[in-house]
Amino acid sequence: MLFNSFIFLFAFLPVCYLVFWSLRTASSRYVWLTLSGYVFYGYWNPWFCLLMAFSTLVSFLAGLGFLRWTLDERKRRLCLVIPIVIDLTLLGFFKYANFAVDSARHVVHFLGSDITLPHLNIILPVGISFYTFHTITYIVDSYRRVIRPTRNLFEFSAYVSLFSQLVAGPIVRFRQIEADLESLGQRERTRWLHVGVAFFITGLVEKVLVADTLAAFVNPAFAHYQSLSTAGAWLAMLGYTFQLYFDFSGYSSMAVGLGYLFGLRLPQNFNSPYKALDPSDFWKRWHISLSSVLRDYLYIPLGGNRNGEWQLYRNLMITMLLGGLWHGAGWTFVVWGAYHGLLLSLHRKVGASWDRLPAPARQVGMFLLVVIGWVFFRATDFTMATTLLSAMFAPTPGTLGIDVAVFLPVLLVAAWWAMLGPNVFEMAHGLEWRSRVVRTAQFAACLAVIAGSRASPFLYFQF
Amino acid sequence: MSTNVALESFEEDDVAGAGGEDRPRPTPRASLRWIGLAVVFIVVLELTCRIEDWFRFRTPLFTPITSQSDLMVRDREGIHGRPNARFQKWVMNGLGTRGPEATLAKPPGSVRVVVVGASESFGLSESPGMEFPRQLEDTLGRWLARRCRTTGVQRFEVLNAALPGMSLPTIEQDVRNRIRRFNADVILLYPTPEQYLDEEPPRAAIPDSAADSHALSPTRVLYPRIIARARNEAKTVVPDFVMTWLRRRGTSAYISERPTGWRFTSTPSDRLERYDADLRGFIATVRSLGATPLIATHANVFMRPGAPDPHLLFAWEKFYPRATGPVIIAFDSVARELTLNAARDSAISVVDLAPRLASANTVPFSDFVHFTDSGAAIVASALAPAVLTASGVGESCGIR
Repeated sequence: MLFNSFIFLFAFLPVCYLVFWSLRTASSRYVWLTLSGYVFYGYWNPWFCLLMAFSTLVSFLAGLGFLRWTLDERKRRLCLVIPIVIDLTLLGFFKYANFAVDSARHVVHFLGSDITLPHLNIILPVGISFYTFHTITYIVDSYRRVIRPTRNLFEFSAYVSLFSQLVAGPIVRFRQIEADLESLGQRERTRWLHVGVAFFITGLVEKVLVADTLAAFVNPAFAHYQSLSTAGAWLAMLGYTFQLYFDFSGYSSMAVGLGYLFGLRLPQNFNSPYKALDPSDFWKRWHISLSSVLRDYLYIPLGGNRNGEWQLYRNLMITMLLGGLWHGAGWTFVVWGAYHGLLLSLHRKVGASWDRLPAPARQVGMFLLVVIGWVFFRATDFTMATTLLSAMFAPTPGTLGIDVAVFLPVLLVAAWWAMLGPNVFEMAHGLEWRSRVVRTAQFAACLAVIAGSRASPFLYFQF
Repeated sequence: MSTNVALESFEEDDVAGAGGEDRPRPTPRASLRWIGLAVVFIVVLELTCRIEDWFRFRTPLFTPITSQSDLMVRDREGIHGRPNARFQKWVMNGLGTRGPEATLAKPPGSVRVVVVGASESFGLSESPGMEFPRQLEDTLGRWLARRCRTTGVQRFEVLNAALPGMSLPTIEQDVRNRIRRFNADVILLYPTPEQYLDEEPPRAAIPDSAADSHALSPTRVLYPRIIARARNEAKTVVPDFVMTWLRRRGTSAYISERPTGWRFTSTPSDRLERYDADLRGFIATVRSLGATPLIATHANVFMRPGAPDPHLLFAWEKFYPRATGPVIIAFDSVARELTLNAARDSAISVVDLAPRLASANTVPFSDFVHFTDSGAAIVASALAPAVLTASGVGESCGIR
């Protein structure tokens, strides 16, 4: 079920919302949120619910273990290691098994052997990368005594299966919504209603009016990427750059808005990333929930910047390589991660010179570096990546692939909003009538577009 | 790395007054504002539909064409495509055929192929430009560029003269009256035999000689476009089992008003004979114009291995309530044999698409008979060699 589908907007959400607020106790609301999360998730494939339920149960039991063995370090370590191994095994199997087999096949073929390795018929459960990280952060934080694990199974399962952030984030740590979950029984329906609606509609605008409109231009261009000229390749990549941002940012804004509607404050996931002035700044603004998880649960445990310059670069590269791999089971994602690891390392090394440039130059420079990185993110293979890069940087005859007269105004609006305009957290979400008129108009426009074209899935679902 | 950058800005104090515990009674002014909001909602809804239609398909903001059926016109030559009509993704050119602009006179050095048929050929489910006649033109272009040598042919031009619901007699009439002016080298037919299971056997559409009877009323420019969108969206929202129940109920109600024995419970031989005769008549007409006829067998999703999807079968039955689902499938199968026989007897090329589509690795059908983009691609690649042969350039392209 997609947030930008009629079934969600006019059936699932109203029923879920009305029943939730008709319930009075926190426990009953946990149960309802869990149930609705499973219905939402099972809409794709009911069998995936079993996987999520298993992962939830394992992590919950680990939490109970931490509560029981507060002093026995050996048992606490087991409670840490066993569920994480299970979670990562499931993630590894469903997401990376075929990637591993395909890579092994290439190596075997390269070595001249004729051993045939079969392609495994595995369906990637949607959002597995996200809820796996939810459960892992819960286990690690419990082990570190950052949070006190909950004894209420439904509170925990409501957290894991919360439909607003279940399949594409943001990656919400238990500690970030623990207080809101605890006080769920005392929440008033109207407290954050208008903020929730405003966030949701803004997210819908980002996704439906901006991202999908850009996609309608760039997808056909990428379908014939071999024939793109230099200008065509740049136009397609610029369009994709903004499409990706508004797609994912739109989903996150909707998720935050839905959280508010149910009395839960979810963290900000995007803080105008294309306003970033350097690579480090970019990763403080792009997919904040993921980058902070990678920082706190991978980069810092690896040693961070504590053990000298080369260890710092090594840790940055490992973190970004794994961050790239998290996004997709493909070598192009690994290269994308490595590219950003390299940018972060270079900035550490020669950042002082970069920082002396005027801010607008740094913003444009950083933006162009990000666009180049997205080539690997968008490319389905290295042939496509190298063809696009070569078209972008060597004068290449060919077609534009895009109707520039119509595309350019959309691109400029998107560029203004992403690079100069306010993000959803910076906007005023007032209750005055002018705001209501604007929101009504935005919602109507989104509905008209959704009705005109089947709701398109969010790009980040694939991760 | 910072999180919750602006979260604190939405703490309780900022939304004081948002609660509605003791709401005052609505004043007339407030009621007017709510009505104003409703008006804004409706106006923006409709305006967005129109702007988006222009944006995506260059459909004018104000046009009297409000449905797919407006894409066709009945005039003194029968039923055919309305020149320069646009509705949603369907764009007709000045000749009244779907696709890019074309001139009546065949461009020098080109081979002109005219595709005739019903909705399967017109293209319903495919993305714009992915219907099989368009993909056929692309495929032929690639053949010409890569494999054909010294043909003297510079270009293959494919005109899509098909229209939803076009029956074989109406197609034959259109070929005789109108398409003959296109100077086609090859006329390719993708027939829809199950139309012969309609209440009455299909007949050629009666031409309408009234000069302005096909003009659309100018007031139709105000017809809300959101209605068509909402209807389509509603269909996608309703679960399959509900749609099937509704279809079955509709079909049962239709049948209950008919006399006993009205429904075909086996393939009706008279209808098959009629199909055979009409097909042979079409071939003769095309030959009489000096063009080369080329036909393809009709395929449906039930020819693919595995148990038939009952939802799809009921959906198909709704179009032909006079026959049961199994009879429609059987009729299509027997008609395929008749198509192959007619082609053999007339010594013309035939492309048997059914086995190709039945064994496709991708999903070729979007419903019971209409193609997906990949299904249309399979059809195009299957037809291309036959078109090359029929147009006389096959040998120079390595086709024997």
